[in-house]
Amino acid sequence: MKVALAQISPYLGDMNKNLDLHFRYIEKAKSKKADLLVFPELSLTGYTLMDLVDEVALVPDRNPVFKKLKTASRELSLVVGFVEELERGLFYNSAAFLSGGKILHIHRKVFLPTFGMFDEARFYAQGKNFHTFPTPFGKAGMMICRDFLSYGASYLLFAGGAEIIIVISAAPGRGTAQEEAYESSRMWEIMGETISRFSTVFLVYCNRVGFEDGKNFAGGSFIYSPSGEMIAQAAYIDQDFLFCNIDPKDVREVRKKWPYKRDDRPEIILEALKRTVSQYED
Amino acid sequence: MKINESFIEKILTTFIKDEFSKFKYKKGILGLSGGLDSSVCAFLAAKALTPANVTALILPYGKSFSQDVEDAKGIITLLGLKSKTIDISPMVDIYFSKFPAKNRIQKGNKMARERMSILYDFSSRENALILGTSNKTELLLGYGTIHGDMACAINPLGDLYKTQIRQLAGHLGVPEKIIKKTPTAGLWTGQTDEKELGLTYDKIDRILFELVDKRIPKKDIIASGFKKEAVEKIIRLIKTSEFKRKLPPIPKISSRTVGHDFLYPYDWDR
Repeated sequence: MKVALAQISPYLGDMNKNLDLHFRYIEKAKSKKADLLVFPELSLTGYTLMDLVDEVALVPDRNPVFKKLKTASRELSLVVGFVEELERGLFYNSAAFLSGGKILHIHRKVFLPTFGMFDEARFYAQGKNFHTFPTPFGKAGMMICRDFLSYGASYLLFAGGAEIIIVISAAPGRGTAQEEAYESSRMWEIMGETISRFSTVFLVYCNRVGFEDGKNFAGGSFIYSPSGEMIAQAAYIDQDFLFCNIDPKDVREVRKKWPYKRDDRPEIILEALKRTVSQYED
Repeated sequence: MKINESFIEKILTTFIKDEFSKFKYKKGILGLSGGLDSSVCAFLAAKALTPANVTALILPYGKSFSQDVEDAKGIITLLGLKSKTIDISPMVDIYFSKFPAKNRIQKGNKMARERMSILYDFSSRENALILGTSNKTELLLGYGTIHGDMACAINPLGDLYKTQIRQLAGHLGVPEKIIKKTPTAGLWTGQTDEKELGLTYDKIDRILFELVDKRIPKKDIIASGFKKEAVEKIIRLIKTSEFKRKLPPIPKISSRTVGHDFLYPYDWDR
């Protein structure tokens, strides 16, 4: 199958312009016969929304933007980022997987970064789950940006049987060193390598680029194979459109050699975790 | 603290291009003193916007700092920028002839604000966006005039220490003589930043890097070999200049107040 990553710079707060932008990439991906096209976090709205959150929030089931995306997903599967209004007045930073004209799954960001330059918990409600779901390419799981930096989240997708993990991101670059990249880009790559290798899954990470209020989203989107090798990477800080052929059967091949999945004991972890949590002091 | 010069150049030229396209401006304008920061900013602006779209204003006070004016003219010729030289002494002198200055800092601040006023006027005349030239060292120490040289539309160099700008300057091809020049705010003849601050930029930046970037506690910085007085002086300057880095406080009355909980991005609707 062919995976495409749209490393774009969305327009802040302008859904119509972003929808046009998405369709330009969808058309190009279709012409290159991609099976799955992934957009970054909050791709339909931009990231630094603050008090604009409620103005761009939507309910996917009855939204014209989603209707168009669902139609497009008959020809190739799509992952998009948006603000979801789940219950009246509750806004989530969400990711939708669309395929065959339907929404197969919505993931709501669980770990909302609220420190330093980040302020998400001030504006969004917290998601509660990391589910896996069947897709035409095998079982998938999704995370949004900071979710991926909590290894417990990746474990839940691994325990849930994911064969492909898709992370959509709006990660600003920070810290410079001697390399031609932000220091923080390395952090995502370490996680990509580790999680793909020890979960024996494909790891697809799509970050955005562009400036918002001086924050510089760092790009560097990548795909790791189930054996932990980087098989494709997009440019740092520049717009890019990355294509990569992957074979979902590779998960099976790698798991013959490295049976981490077979040997996993979620029930032991669960019981131990319960005991650990019960010993927490208030 | 060392930077990768070509990566930083790319970030800053991309930033300038991006901001200009968001603000829907083609042309940029900046005050060029002949010193390091404004020269580096001019080089970056010329790369990002093309030299024909950059206007450099040289705003000397009478005949003082004539060497810097010559150096600024040299940069303009080297880069092929548009330029204008305006002597600010008539405006400043007539004011102080009526209201004599108590000290030279007061006069220097007035001069910085006179330059700001001309830059904003030319920004409107030329339909050009103002590029600021304040660096991270100055911003943190408050070593600048509020609503004077700190005023601008975008500030490309604001996250680079003075010593990092010097490193970047060499890579950009800024003439050696400007890189080696003794930094001065140009408020009066003979003033130099390092004399006034009582510390070299090399020391200041290394202490700031420990304090601000690495968040190392004061006592550990002193224990690692920096002079107690120097560290304390820098901390004091940072604290007492916070007002220069913020909007003025507004007393909260309504349920939604500018500066408190009216929260929109700077890039709103751009």
